Amino acid sequence: MRVAERIKNDGGKSPAAVAGPSVPSTGSSSGRKRRGVNREGLEAGRRSTRTLLWVLLAAAMVLYGFPFLYLLFTSFKTPIDTIAVPPTILPREWTLENYTNALGRSGVVASFINSIQTAIISTLLSLVLAVPAAYGITRYQTLSGRIFIMAALVTRMVPPVAIGIPLASMMASMGLSDTPIALSIAHTTISLPLSIWLMSSFFEAVPKDLEEAATVDGCSRLGALWRVVIPVVSGGIAVTAIFAFLASWNEFLFALLMTAIRSQTTPVVIANFQTQFGLDWGSMTALAAVYSIPVILLTLLLQRKIVAGMTLGAVKG
Amino acid sequence: MRISDRRFALFLMTPAALFLAVFVAFPLFRLVADSFFKISPIAGGSRDFVGLDNYFRAFASEAFVGAGWRTLAYTLIVVTLEFALGLGMALLFTTLGKSSQIWRTVFMYPLMIAPIVAGLLWKFLMIDNFGLIGTLLHQAGILSNPNQIGWLSDPGIVLYSVAIPDIWLTTSFMCLVLFAGLQNIPGDLIEAARLDGARAPALLFRIILPLLRPVIAVALVVRGIDAARAFDTILIQTNGGPQSASETMSLLIYRTMIRFGDPGLASAMGTLYLLAMLAVAFVAVSTIWRPGKDN
Repeated sequence: MRVAERIKNDGGKSPAAVAGPSVPSTGSSSGRKRRGVNREGLEAGRRSTRTLLWVLLAAAMVLYGFPFLYLLFTSFKTPIDTIAVPPTILPREWTLENYTNALGRSGVVASFINSIQTAIISTLLSLVLAVPAAYGITRYQTLSGRIFIMAALVTRMVPPVAIGIPLASMMASMGLSDTPIALSIAHTTISLPLSIWLMSSFFEAVPKDLEEAATVDGCSRLGALWRVVIPVVSGGIAVTAIFAFLASWNEFLFALLMTAIRSQTTPVVIANFQTQFGLDWGSMTALAAVYSIPVILLTLLLQRKIVAGMTLGAVKG
Repeated sequence: MRISDRRFALFLMTPAALFLAVFVAFPLFRLVADSFFKISPIAGGSRDFVGLDNYFRAFASEAFVGAGWRTLAYTLIVVTLEFALGLGMALLFTTLGKSSQIWRTVFMYPLMIAPIVAGLLWKFLMIDNFGLIGTLLHQAGILSNPNQIGWLSDPGIVLYSVAIPDIWLTTSFMCLVLFAGLQNIPGDLIEAARLDGARAPALLFRIILPLLRPVIAVALVVRGIDAARAFDTILIQTNGGPQSASETMSLLIYRTMIRFGDPGLASAMGTLYLLAMLAVAFVAVSTIWRPGKDN
């Protein structure tokens, strides 16, 4: 338990700054708050130094951004140019051939639907289980709550490969083999501990008086949670939902172990391109692009929430 | 009648606790139980109790011991590099201040990419013949021939190569967390140290890093655990090869279970792997955090 308390104390500063009671603000806004202080502190002053640092940043961004751009460029090459020796960076001829090839393969479109279904079921399951649990842990501070949150932390260390096979045979005996339900349950074993940790830190920021006032007004405790507390942490619930969704969307090992034909998700299909159809790099790059772009756009749109969750998730567990 | 607060808290936690008990604790129990049996991979096949035999076989096998060392090396490579790069980027963003905010957002994008896609992408960049990295280094005059370095085919360096996608994916995470930590260092403290004549390296090692210690500890432990479990990126790049030179523990257990059809041995390996993870995480947490000493 000491560990969890340490996390609370040490991380205290940053989650407090990050998780405002109503809208979870972000690292950037907490940065803004302190900017005045920082200008004399860590921010570089001299113009020559700043120019040098900008050059450094530009170099880092090019190195960091280039691999994905190259994936995109490659996806627009002709299938033959894709594996030309020596390779070129830009397509000699821009074409959608790789995309039509990839999406035209049997099972590819179905795998997208499976990925979406699995991620949505898993996200809902995580939230339904994590929200009350996290509330019970943070609001009542019981011994069982403390034991539970440590157990959730330990769960994070379990290698998926260790439980994947027993889990798959359990699903088979429940008659759920090769269904999105089975896979989303497996994905929830990953996202539930994370969701509990995230939600706990959001609940911590809610003043206790809030639901005390509600219970005095005649609300039951469950009613106070549902009508008063949940609306206040709705921003936190959104952050948690994003993380649960991404955990499922990008997961591969459970999907590999637990799905066959019917419920295969896109990551497994992408990996199968390599074995089933020889080395079809063109289609693979196209499919990888189609699968990644929605979540990258999501990041850019929701970056404030994601930054808040990242920093909380790290500082908390 | 009102139930007590303690009961109410328990009532709220029960569904999640039951879920974790059924879908995590029970499979783990099955894993440990299976490790004491010799199990035929065929459905309905034999299942004989063999005591600790699977554990002896695991320790006697070169593959298991090798995979253990490789997992350790891989984790150290990944965590060290991404910590160094992440800290560098976090300091860069902090010193550049608000005007670099948009780039901080862009820098986050790999976090959203599936590990399997990242592994595939870097395999494509490093592959022999039509890999872009070798070609660019050749065109820049650094390599005499584009295939001089067999990134993924030379057993001597493959463990470093397969680590690259993992580092690329999660340096952003290190950077974000350390950046958030840096925002909490009071500016006047830095200013006071500057006035005392502290130069940049002293500032970094004497003031910034010690103050960031708790944040660094969490980031390293979280990432260490993830890196030690890496599977997707390595499987897609090399499938553990060449000559098992990139076969880490997750891959070995997977292959033992699926390809070699030895669930008993795989379960023993899985159990040892889990115990090692718990032990290392426990030691890391209690030593790096130094509870009670760093306030």
